[in-house]
Amino acid sequence: MGVAVKAALLAVAMLMLAWLTAWLERRLVRGEPGPALAVALDGSPLLPNRDRWLYPAGPIVALVGFLLGAVVIPFGPGLIGQDLDIGVFYFIVVLDFVVLGIALSGWGANTPDSVEAFYRIVAQLVAYVVPLGMALVGAIMMAKSLSTTRIVAAQSGLWFIVLQPLGFALYLVSGLMQCYRAPFLEPFATGIGGGILGVAGGWPALLWRIALSGLLFLVAAMGAVLFLGGWLGPWLPGPVWMLVKTYALMALMLGLGRLAQPLSVAQMLALSWKVLIPVGLVNVLLVGLLILFGIGPA
Amino acid sequence: MTAFDIAQIVAFTLCAFIAVAGALGMATTMSMFRSGIFLMASFLGVAGLFILLAADLMGLLQIMMYIGGMLVMILFMVLFMHDPGGAMMAAMPGMMAPVERFFSGGLQQGEGRNGDHADMHAGNGEAKEADRENRQNGANGEHHAQHDGMQHGGSDMSMNMEGTHMDDMDMSMVTPVRRIAAWLAVAIGVGLGALVLLRPSWPTVTRHPDPRSAEAVGMLLMGKYMIAFEGAGFLILLGIVGAVLMARVERHPDNGGRDARVGRTDAPPQIAPDPVIPPSPDERPNEEHASEHHAVAHPPSHRRPA
Repeated sequence: MGVAVKAALLAVAMLMLAWLTAWLERRLVRGEPGPALAVALDGSPLLPNRDRWLYPAGPIVALVGFLLGAVVIPFGPGLIGQDLDIGVFYFIVVLDFVVLGIALSGWGANTPDSVEAFYRIVAQLVAYVVPLGMALVGAIMMAKSLSTTRIVAAQSGLWFIVLQPLGFALYLVSGLMQCYRAPFLEPFATGIGGGILGVAGGWPALLWRIALSGLLFLVAAMGAVLFLGGWLGPWLPGPVWMLVKTYALMALMLGLGRLAQPLSVAQMLALSWKVLIPVGLVNVLLVGLLILFGIGPA
Repeated sequence: MTAFDIAQIVAFTLCAFIAVAGALGMATTMSMFRSGIFLMASFLGVAGLFILLAADLMGLLQIMMYIGGMLVMILFMVLFMHDPGGAMMAAMPGMMAPVERFFSGGLQQGEGRNGDHADMHAGNGEAKEADRENRQNGANGEHHAQHDGMQHGGSDMSMNMEGTHMDDMDMSMVTPVRRIAAWLAVAIGVGLGALVLLRPSWPTVTRHPDPRSAEAVGMLLMGKYMIAFEGAGFLILLGIVGAVLMARVERHPDNGGRDARVGRTDAPPQIAPDPVIPPSPDERPNEEHASEHHAVAHPPSHRRPA
């Protein structure tokens, strides 16, 4: 039963990392808290109209999405839940479970604000999913593999951030959109009482806290894997490098997010379709040219 | 039989059950939202079957298409359907078959004709309390009334049901062919099951599937099937351009409802000044008696709460 031990270890590690992320984020966020909103962990709000099945299912589905996504993040050579051949694709697919969880809970809580959060989260999914895919495609093209460990190994000479600065910038923006941090926090805006966090209390609130912090951690970790060379680095052991890069990238994302003013979902969609997707296409073209001229990993 | 075989059989049973039960729930629940979620669950079960067959790329594609796609589809259903939360049908449990009642259990019920029914079924004071709260909110003015409209039950629903007849109700859930359709589905299911059982022999392959299927699929798409692949891409692009063309802002200049919702504050909405100067309060009764035309011209302004 090596699988069970591995899964338990991974779950414990992920819970600790999510807690660390939540602690750090609380210190970095100014203005609207978004998903870092403080939630009441004792007692649950009065929701007389809630759906008995959908409302509690939401945080569980989101937490499952976070834990499944964590499986393909490599922390060192051999230190990975499971090295799948289609790792990156698997990663973006299972993170959709977090969106599904928010949709279930938002509709299930059946208050005007939580239903509005459901509408916004689905519209935001449409906004980020294509540019995010385009940002990933550049790294996949150069590494010639969807496996996360092979993408890291392909960066042993030069990190992809040097070869694809445009792709990295695209990942920063669409990654922020994917984890609902400022300035893309409309589904959790204070204007609708924090969205689903405003109607969560007790154990659902705790699960939301873990899942949403974990989402930020995973997005930053995948950015470190794709563009910052993952666990590679001198002097320090691999896992330490990986964590340093992940949290540095997370701090960079949150810091940059503080500079912009919050966008509505309609503005996000406009940004996505008018700016990010054309930039993504240009990035794919540039990476293709680099590969054609033999620049990059052999 | 090893532990691995047993695990495989258990996983197959679970996935198959999810696929079939999800499809049944999709067809029988009264809530459009639940219907979409059930369909998603059904496809997740099918994705599990793909993964059991070592076709993990197909399984993941299935999951990706049906989580994201189904959520967007649910959003559109909620926007366009008359009763997306199934509140109206949930208030009339007598009109549902047992399996429909099972999959519609615990839905928020609408008020109106069978309002006392709703309270009876909730069994405790919860529903009554909710109703009272809703009414209080309604009394607080336009802002809160708008909120209630957003709930699945929805006040517009109950307004429809206060009519004496079902003429203006959405009865698409209770069509007369429902029984025939159900029997037809059962017959087809039995026929397919019989085909599976009676088929003389299934060809078996001992070779394991290619673990690097993603690469093979990519090579095929970009090589042998390139025309079809690029053609599909071109068609989708045409579709996007067409949708953008038809949804131009000039065609739909009225986006006021959304703006009002996004930019809402807790202050009550400003009352717009009347285009016609209203008569002073002490003149008004005479005015109304004297000129009917004036009263018809702007009746809402008289009824607005201060």
